[in-house]
Amino acid sequence: MSSNELTLTPSQSPGLVKSPLSISPSGSLGAVRRPVNTTGWREWLFTVDHKKIGIMYGCVAFVFFIVGGVEALFIRLQLALPDGRILSADKYNQMFTMHATTMIFLFAMPMAAAFANYFLPLQIGARDVAFPRLNALSFWLFVSGGLILNASWFLGGAADGGWFMYAPNSGPVFSPSNGVDFWVLGLQIAGIASLIGSINLIVTVLNMRAPGMTLMKMPVFTWMILVVQFLLVFSLPVITVALVLLMFQRSYGATFFDVSQGADPLLWQHLFWIFGHPEVYVLILPGFGIISEVLPTFSRKPLFGYPFVVFSGASIGLVGFGVWAHHMFASGLGPVSVAVFSMATMAIAIPTGVKIFNWLLTMWGGKIWYSAAMKFAIGLVILFTIGGLSGVTHAVAPSDTQQTDTYYIVAHFHYVLFGGMVFGLFSGFYYWWPKVFGKMLNEKLGSWNFWLMVIGMNLTFGPMHILGLQGQPRRMYVWTEARAGEGFFNFGFWNLVSSIGSFVLSVGVLFFIINVIKTTRNPERAPLDPWDARTLEWLTTSPPKVHNFDRIPVVHHLDEFFHRKYVEDETTHAMTQIATGEDLMRAEEAAADTGIHMPGPSYWPLLLAIGVAVLGMGVIYGTPIMVVGALVVLFSSFGWVLEPSVPEPIDFDSPSTDGHTKEIAPLG
Amino acid sequence: MITPGSKYFFGLTGLSLIAAILYMVLVNPTDLGAVALFGLATSGALIGVMASFTRDGDVYTDEEAVAANAVAGPPSFWPIVFALGAALVLTGLATVSVVFILGIAVLIGGGVEWTIQNWADGASSDREFNEFARARAISAIEYPGLAAVGLGVIAFFFSRVVLAVSKEAGPIIFIVVAAVIFVIGVLIASKPFMKGAVTVVVAVLAVVALAAVGTIAALSGERHELAVAAEEDHFDASHRECGEEESEHYDHLANNTVSLRSAVTATIFVKDGKVYAEAIGMTKKVDTITIPRSNATSVMFRNLDDEKHRLVVNLGSAKVAETGVAEKVGTCTQLTGKNQEQVMTLKIPKPATETEPYSFTVPGATGEIKLVVP
Amino acid sequence: MDIVNNVKSSSHRIRNSIATVIGIVALSGCATNAPQDTWQPKGDNAQVINNLQWIIFPMAGVVGVLVFAFAAYTFWKFNDRGQPIPSQSHGKPVVEIILTIIPALILTVVGVFTFRGIFELANTEDTEMVINVTGQQWWWEYDYPAQDDQGITQPIISSGQLVIPVGTKVLLRETSRDVIHSYWIPALNGKKDAVPGRINLLRLQADKPGIFAGQCTEFCGLSHANMRMEAIALSKEDFAKWVANQQKDYTSPAAGSLANEGEGVFLNQCIRCHQVNGLKKADGTPALAAPDENVYSGAAPNLSHLMSRNTFAGAKFDLLRKSCRSDVWDASSETIGAKYLAGVSESCLNATDLRAWLRNAPAMKPMYADPAKLGASGGKYRGMPNLGLTETDIDKLVAYLLTLK
Repeated sequence: MSSNELTLTPSQSPGLVKSPLSISPSGSLGAVRRPVNTTGWREWLFTVDHKKIGIMYGCVAFVFFIVGGVEALFIRLQLALPDGRILSADKYNQMFTMHATTMIFLFAMPMAAAFANYFLPLQIGARDVAFPRLNALSFWLFVSGGLILNASWFLGGAADGGWFMYAPNSGPVFSPSNGVDFWVLGLQIAGIASLIGSINLIVTVLNMRAPGMTLMKMPVFTWMILVVQFLLVFSLPVITVALVLLMFQRSYGATFFDVSQGADPLLWQHLFWIFGHPEVYVLILPGFGIISEVLPTFSRKPLFGYPFVVFSGASIGLVGFGVWAHHMFASGLGPVSVAVFSMATMAIAIPTGVKIFNWLLTMWGGKIWYSAAMKFAIGLVILFTIGGLSGVTHAVAPSDTQQTDTYYIVAHFHYVLFGGMVFGLFSGFYYWWPKVFGKMLNEKLGSWNFWLMVIGMNLTFGPMHILGLQGQPRRMYVWTEARAGEGFFNFGFWNLVSSIGSFVLSVGVLFFIINVIKTTRNPERAPLDPWDARTLEWLTTSPPKVHNFDRIPVVHHLDEFFHRKYVEDETTHAMTQIATGEDLMRAEEAAADTGIHMPGPSYWPLLLAIGVAVLGMGVIYGTPIMVVGALVVLFSSFGWVLEPSVPEPIDFDSPSTDGHTKEIAPLG
Repeated sequence: MITPGSKYFFGLTGLSLIAAILYMVLVNPTDLGAVALFGLATSGALIGVMASFTRDGDVYTDEEAVAANAVAGPPSFWPIVFALGAALVLTGLATVSVVFILGIAVLIGGGVEWTIQNWADGASSDREFNEFARARAISAIEYPGLAAVGLGVIAFFFSRVVLAVSKEAGPIIFIVVAAVIFVIGVLIASKPFMKGAVTVVVAVLAVVALAAVGTIAALSGERHELAVAAEEDHFDASHRECGEEESEHYDHLANNTVSLRSAVTATIFVKDGKVYAEAIGMTKKVDTITIPRSNATSVMFRNLDDEKHRLVVNLGSAKVAETGVAEKVGTCTQLTGKNQEQVMTLKIPKPATETEPYSFTVPGATGEIKLVVP
Repeated sequence: MDIVNNVKSSSHRIRNSIATVIGIVALSGCATNAPQDTWQPKGDNAQVINNLQWIIFPMAGVVGVLVFAFAAYTFWKFNDRGQPIPSQSHGKPVVEIILTIIPALILTVVGVFTFRGIFELANTEDTEMVINVTGQQWWWEYDYPAQDDQGITQPIISSGQLVIPVGTKVLLRETSRDVIHSYWIPALNGKKDAVPGRINLLRLQADKPGIFAGQCTEFCGLSHANMRMEAIALSKEDFAKWVANQQKDYTSPAAGSLANEGEGVFLNQCIRCHQVNGLKKADGTPALAAPDENVYSGAAPNLSHLMSRNTFAGAKFDLLRKSCRSDVWDASSETIGAKYLAGVSESCLNATDLRAWLRNAPAMKPMYADPAKLGASGGKYRGMPNLGLTETDIDKLVAYLLTLK
């Protein structure tokens, strides 16, 4: 730092021209020089690029998918035979709690966030999201939350109260290990991540659409993601309140759910499900959005009834806030409440039905190409219909009192979530893989992957309908032959079928992993427009450039990309191709914008997320750790505020301007 | 960048961290001493970072010519603030701790401002840029800090006012103040020319007025019942006087509404001087209420008569540990007026003996409801 | 329901899929005699629910078949056979509106039936008998308040098995001592949660005598899977006999017998938590259990007339040996009353499980009963601990418990 030579340079800030003998101001005011021109692991750790963040979201979520899947396999192993001995009661309770928590909060939501992050800016013709550093913060907070949740396995046992964590069973007396504390803090941190992410995406969609893209010209995937973000913004605060109450009850001796102090334990149920039911749509709508892109592409037809699909999605989101108590039909709400919520639940079936009809009618009259992506999309339509219909059977509240908390419900929501959401996500993997990685996933392996997953999924969850209707309750660490019935097709048979099915399903997922490895090793590049696609994300290279588009596209149509390739004859309505994707790309490159301004990478999101994680651990392990965490949070917030959003020349190792820049006042 | 000054503070941080860990291991991990040592480490680190960030507040240059060219900073009042802080600390040490804490706060605030100011003055030879650099660095601390102080002041004085006025006037004041703020807000928003000086004047006047009223309210003390309630706990079971007549302490401030009606097992009524009961799910009136053993269960009492009544539960008798004398066990609700209700939560660990059955009675009314704990 | 395997090979796609769906619906009744089958109502309330199920399930089935048939036809018909790219039609609002109205109409019809069902099941105006049901980790307590019109002159307390008279509208007043549980006898009604601090109502009515199995269905912690219950419906005469037996006074076993020594062991150990009504200490004063001092929920099963029940430890274990158990469970509705009222005889006692339970209860059922890990509950157990009884003590206790008819 001590230097005897002083080179005077012209100011980096326009408008502040100095006399030759003055000390020139440094351009950067950051407390630490920001990371620029990073390579290797730094490139990923400090990135704020929505595409890199999207890929990281996807990778981490997929790891958690495998973790959650292994937990599910343990559960099925335990239940394959009566009085299973693979797991103790305690471990089993932890297993099903963490399976649900992992799948919902650490796989489904972040995987949807991965797709949203990557494709939403591309679909609306933007260069990045509105707040790139917040985007990175969301990701790192999610990672922190996930790690805290799973750290509990090694620190005295995971949470054991079920993902619904009903009070008072979640209290310190009934769940004395630290598992629930880890759960509470992990979810709070993951919740902050989702909340920040949703605000970011809402602002992005509302403000950063390409010229000409009105809301009703927006791709359906973007629409569904927008609806999901609004659901998150309004439902996450509710669960956060509930989690804070539970945290105070467990860590600081509060009595929010202590009946002997006059509390009502149903408070938790209401708070949880006011969040929990919209959450179901948070999980399913991204899947709906993905297949609403895939089905038109592979049917070579626009989505049937685009406004109806959009508004039914929005109305599902809205009505989704008014049906929470259908999770509580057995908790003694009184007949009036039960009747109202029963009716509201039936009402939500109507927009859902509209969507299914529209998908089928999109295919009607089309020219269907059964690629792997299309197979998964069709799988979603069929399996979700089954789940939807079984859902209607327990909208009928009296019928639900026989079915709730039995395996029938387990069957229902796995058809909805696995058949609906997971199939949608896999459809998205196959559809967008060439866009993200520039390589085509193998279609043959994709076919194996699809059929094994369909068969495995139906073998696993199909028999659960029968088990549930014949009276096998859920969340039991063993089932007993005393209640299993007689005959060949007794509980033993169906439980075994279900367990075998879960392994078939795992092999199906394994085929996907094999496919990914094989594809990565394959040097062959994917064509620019392999599916003859319809939306703007295909109007760039694969993988897209850092700045996404060489020039910001001007939008005239829904399905802009398709309409740039094809023209319709006015009278015969016959479609004629006038350009290929490559032609369009060349035109874009020829007219590329110059001087594109992109956000620079930053340390602060990562550091801030670490600080929040330490703060959380402090709640469990004591005030001194909290102080350290708070310090890191304060320090990184301060650094964040001082850092300009775009890197200054001074941040670069080799200065970008001529002459020798020398740090004079050590601002950067 | 590690400057000589920051080295000292980082050293302090490291040593106090070690001391804190040792203290936690050897003495007591949750003790105030550990928190204090951690606090020292924290503040050491904060000041250290600040010192390294500002390179000890120095423009680091060896060139005389350049140094000579540096412009002098604007006049600064931070030294005075800093001195005031020191004075307050000393005064506080001798008098009350509030002044001491205030002094510390002023000392830290003034110190931070001074340091940043000094650093910014050397940032370049352009005073305009220096001012920009100062604002850039300090705003991130100043604005949230000032906002917190401002909100704290408003919350404190407003709470004093609400505590001093009567229970009925509180909500009205709340609504009126909210309405006035809303109207002023609308006026300011719809009349852009009002922005600036007028807005500031209005806001300052409002805060000053609030502070004045709050001070007066704080001096005049809290409203009577709160002051009384703070003195002794009238809701403690040992204070309960379960007779027919009004008790001077216990019946004061009876809360005559029940919020969780869904959570009562039965309701006991008094009508025309007679006691009767209805239990949830029972179609007829009942003369016996069954409460499971050791289960916190609530019973509601509803008075339908003109005279005030209370519900008394008799739970046999027990020997008092110290004296060995058998005393009656039981408790009661507060006295409640016509059409008003009270709730009583019972957790009874043992069934009654045959000689001393449990029962509910209402002094001044006939009849009793048997209480069975199976 | 028995297996209906009428899936016939047919080239016609639609008929085939209809048959498949009927097959699937029929398959849902696959296991015969599943004790908790939700499609075999044995009383009025369950029948109301079953009637609704018979509306909504076939309706969902038919809608499913139609949608799948349409989907299958679409997949086949519009497969890419080299046809030109279709015109880019964005849909027909008329079709959309029709497809919105049709499901709305269907659901309105279902809604009307649902509405009626909900209020029919919530009716408690014509209740004939009341039983208080209290859940705790991990067993159910039943107490019958005195009801002269049902012949119950003294309160009765029992656990594990609920005994009700047939043809009587019985109202359960449910609550809980610790966490939320849920009471569910599928053959008699849907489930209703037992929420601490609240009284939830559930109506049961059995048409014929029989044993109906149930299971706690709200996750309630470690041994949730072991929290079972059974409802036994007896004819009115048999029920009167059962009541008379439950109200019989306690008599001490004959002096000098093994059972009498067992009473001593009981007074020494078990009385800390378990009440036996009428039991007296050696000095003649009533022996009162103090479960609130030892167990977190503040209660342990009342063991008066233990051997009139068929199960113990939250109905996880049978008091009857296997052959004796199936003798009762498989009995016809005419004979079941007498068989149940016979209780547990020495020859029928499932001594293996009972002795193992007395020897080391935590090994038999997961509970929080490790004295070293009771910090959070202030040193109180949640379940029966290992009492360290000697084999002789166990012999004596079993002999004593057998006298609690």
